Amino acid sequence: MLEFMDYVQHSFYKASHWNTENSYSQLTATARELLEFDTPRGLRLNLSSLSSPNFATSYAIGSVGLVDGALSYLYTSLPLFPVSQSGNIDLHDVIRGYRQIQELRKQEESWMWEEWQGGKRIDKRNTLFYGRLYLPQSTLEALYLRRLSPTQQLKLSAVSDSRLKNGGTILALHQYDTGKYSTETLYSTDGGLVGVRGLYNFGPDPRKGITEPPRTEDRFYGRFSAGAEMYYGALNKSGGVSFGGRFATLPAHKGVPLTATLTLNPLMGNLSTTYAVKAGKNLALCSKFDFNVYSYESDLMLGCELWRMKAKAKKIQERSMAAKLEWRLDEVEKNPLPEPEEVTGVLKARVDQNWRIGLLWEGRIKELLFTLASSIDMNRPDQPFRAVGLEVQYSS
Amino acid sequence: MAFNFNWSPLTADAEFYKMAQQMLTTALNKSPKPPIIVDDILVNELNLGSVPPELEILEIGDLAEDRFRGIFKMCYSGDAFLTLKTRVQANPLNTYLFSKPSFTSPQPLAASSGLTIPLQITLSEIKLSAFIILVFSRQKGLTLVFRNDPLESLKVSSTFDSIPFVRDYLQKEIEMQLRTLMMDELPAIIHRLSLRLWCPEYRAQEAAELAEAEKLEKEEVAVDPLASPPQDAVDARGNVLDANEISTLSLDGGGSEIHSLFSQKNLLRLAALTDSHRTLSLFTPSIRDAVFRAWASPSERDTAGTSTPATPSLQRSASSVANSSTTYTFSRGSDDGYGHMPSRPSLVSLQSATTGLSLGAGRHSRSHMRKKKNRVVNLRKPKTTDDMASESGSESASVSASEPIISTRIPEEPEDNIITPPRSPSGKVRFRTSSIDLGDSPHKFRLSAPSRSALSSKAIPEQVILDSTSAPAIEKDEPIIYSRARRPSLKKRQSPPEKAPAIHLTPAPILSSEPVSESRGIVEQAWVLKMAGEIAKRAHDEKASREGFWSGSTADEREETPPPAYQAKAL
Repeated sequence: MLEFMDYVQHSFYKASHWNTENSYSQLTATARELLEFDTPRGLRLNLSSLSSPNFATSYAIGSVGLVDGALSYLYTSLPLFPVSQSGNIDLHDVIRGYRQIQELRKQEESWMWEEWQGGKRIDKRNTLFYGRLYLPQSTLEALYLRRLSPTQQLKLSAVSDSRLKNGGTILALHQYDTGKYSTETLYSTDGGLVGVRGLYNFGPDPRKGITEPPRTEDRFYGRFSAGAEMYYGALNKSGGVSFGGRFATLPAHKGVPLTATLTLNPLMGNLSTTYAVKAGKNLALCSKFDFNVYSYESDLMLGCELWRMKAKAKKIQERSMAAKLEWRLDEVEKNPLPEPEEVTGVLKARVDQNWRIGLLWEGRIKELLFTLASSIDMNRPDQPFRAVGLEVQYSS
Repeated sequence: MAFNFNWSPLTADAEFYKMAQQMLTTALNKSPKPPIIVDDILVNELNLGSVPPELEILEIGDLAEDRFRGIFKMCYSGDAFLTLKTRVQANPLNTYLFSKPSFTSPQPLAASSGLTIPLQITLSEIKLSAFIILVFSRQKGLTLVFRNDPLESLKVSSTFDSIPFVRDYLQKEIEMQLRTLMMDELPAIIHRLSLRLWCPEYRAQEAAELAEAEKLEKEEVAVDPLASPPQDAVDARGNVLDANEISTLSLDGGGSEIHSLFSQKNLLRLAALTDSHRTLSLFTPSIRDAVFRAWASPSERDTAGTSTPATPSLQRSASSVANSSTTYTFSRGSDDGYGHMPSRPSLVSLQSATTGLSLGAGRHSRSHMRKKKNRVVNLRKPKTTDDMASESGSESASVSASEPIISTRIPEEPEDNIITPPRSPSGKVRFRTSSIDLGDSPHKFRLSAPSRSALSSKAIPEQVILDSTSAPAIEKDEPIIYSRARRPSLKKRQSPPEKAPAIHLTPAPILSSEPVSESRGIVEQAWVLKMAGEIAKRAHDEKASREGFWSGSTADEREETPPPAYQAKAL
């Protein structure tokens, strides 16, 4: 489940029309959500508030070993109006499962951001500041996010911690997304790491406008994307490379939505494939297979997510005032629109070839969002439960 | 002063290697490993090489037989090598991301995917140079501390020697790891080893790994530089033992099996030695690998002017035998063969053996004996006292007065032993004082093998008697007796309650010692016997300078001998 601050951050992306999914680092997002979800440990409480459209605060207290906590503040120059009450948040927005990729949108032109007043440009770039202080470790996290242009974004994240080498690290990430392709360049002060990532989407170019309607009669209507990444650590003279490709069906696809990815690490001889299907309206399945051609090591992981839905309580129909005045009953609606069902909970489960099982149950009780997680190791029958965690969030 | 530094036994012992490999493996895996190492580190091969380290004594702060403190300078540049096996993460990006905050992680998609590679590392050309502070005490074991970083240089060769980056990285990491190992882990390991060697309590904990401990001891002896008998004998709880007590206790382990260890020749020599003490004759038989030294502590002199220095060590070994955990090293250090109580007989048996003799010989002083007996009895547990009283009565009745009977009876000692543990010493003392026959002991030593143990046991007490010339001396003895009485109980605590049944059995003189021994685990005994045999053999083999056993000889007679005789067997 997304933390409140991440939720606000995502609403910032949404409000500023930034597509986070069009990035090479998000190529395997579906498999990551279904197979590599975090299982919290211990008890954790989050208390958050979006006190104004520009300002959010969050407090967290946890008990892992000893009591620890975190204070976080967020400021954004772009007023945000997300649903902030934990009782009303749509769980689809905070619980990430199978990611349905969307049709690419045409990016805004840069002139669309221009605002002129009295012959001067007065428009400002949208920025977001975020800071979090962990106590009692005295670790400080800071994030600076700035939309440079409709196609560019700069993200600076820093961690200050006395236990780290040089007292902390800074990561600078510049993202450029045209829709058809996206590139990211990054630099990390830790080890002088320089990295480049790129993703290219095959198919129609959104910049030219959609000329033809989706050919939904095809067996698969989807999009193929391919990308690569490259890193080089200047100080420790080490690097890494990987290539990847993804095919995913688009919303207009009539059959079962599916996502398949293949990533290769030529240096380390690692090959990884994932395959995920949304088997039903409320069910998604995912498998992942890793193989190393050098060491012949392999790994298999299976996972699923199950959404539990509940029909919304029917509104009690009251006679409208107009009807009362006219001494008649309300007209019965001909085709009442089916009320969207409400999510009550999501169960995620994964198992790997070593019989390590992860379970996650996320849902809402009254006004509280909760995450209940457990990791089980079946190889140790004496104490199979390796960790149990409960996270409770409340926001207003 | 001479230090005998035995390197070769270390290098020759296969079991030592096995054990050391285990210890190293646990030590290496204890501290948090760098992220590049993704599996346990296994010590695959270990060889100490043939070149011993050079040791230079810089300072000796404290020196006694049971404690030592000194500073050494050690230089080592030998041909030892060590082969480690583990699995490493070959992807540098993976290890880079490890232990980095996720908030600033570049979050690579697949570039950080891992590749684990089995790795074999050989550490060779190890050069050490360090100042070592060595503190040893019998109770607290051996503490070895490096005053500075001992590791000067070493060569790390691995599967990745062709890749300079990896090679350098490994070299750096391993040097770091080895430094912590040397500074932190090695002293702990050595301390643990020494504790295992010398502290019965500690060893009792590890009784489960008896077989392992056995190995340990074997190799440890070689390592142990200070395996000499304690000058001031101390029991397991650290109470100083009187010489008298020691003399009785020392032999208690003797039982019927003891003679299997002691060579007749040596026994005769010892007998001659004690005789010479008694008679104040200037002739002392030369005993090989033995050093006489003066008693330092006054308390011993008070209680019993002379006592064979051997006894402390003997006693020690005996007691340790009584505990299910045996410190053979120790006894071996004390003297070749002598220290070993082959079986696990308790003190009781020994004492009783002496009693048997005393009964036979000193029947005229029986009344005295009884008095003493009673005293002793009071100190013991009520149950045993009853038994003893009755037994003693019957025994005395059965024992006819004549000397020959004694000798005949001697084979039967075991039974007696069991019957009357505590009273025996006192009785004997009486006997001795009353009838001082000097030629007695040697004559007895010539007796048949089964009786020998009893004789030997007797021989040493005699000595005691010799010095305690008059009644006051005897009076002094009484407290000793008490303590003695306490001692057995101590032992009892360690040696399981099986003993009690044994005591009950014993009244019938026909019974031999076998049932008793059976009552203690046969396996244990078998093991002990085996060990004893082995050690005895070894002892005979290596006639290396082992002074320990007799080193603490009487001060009175031999002032001229250099008092502090300290010998390091092997470092």
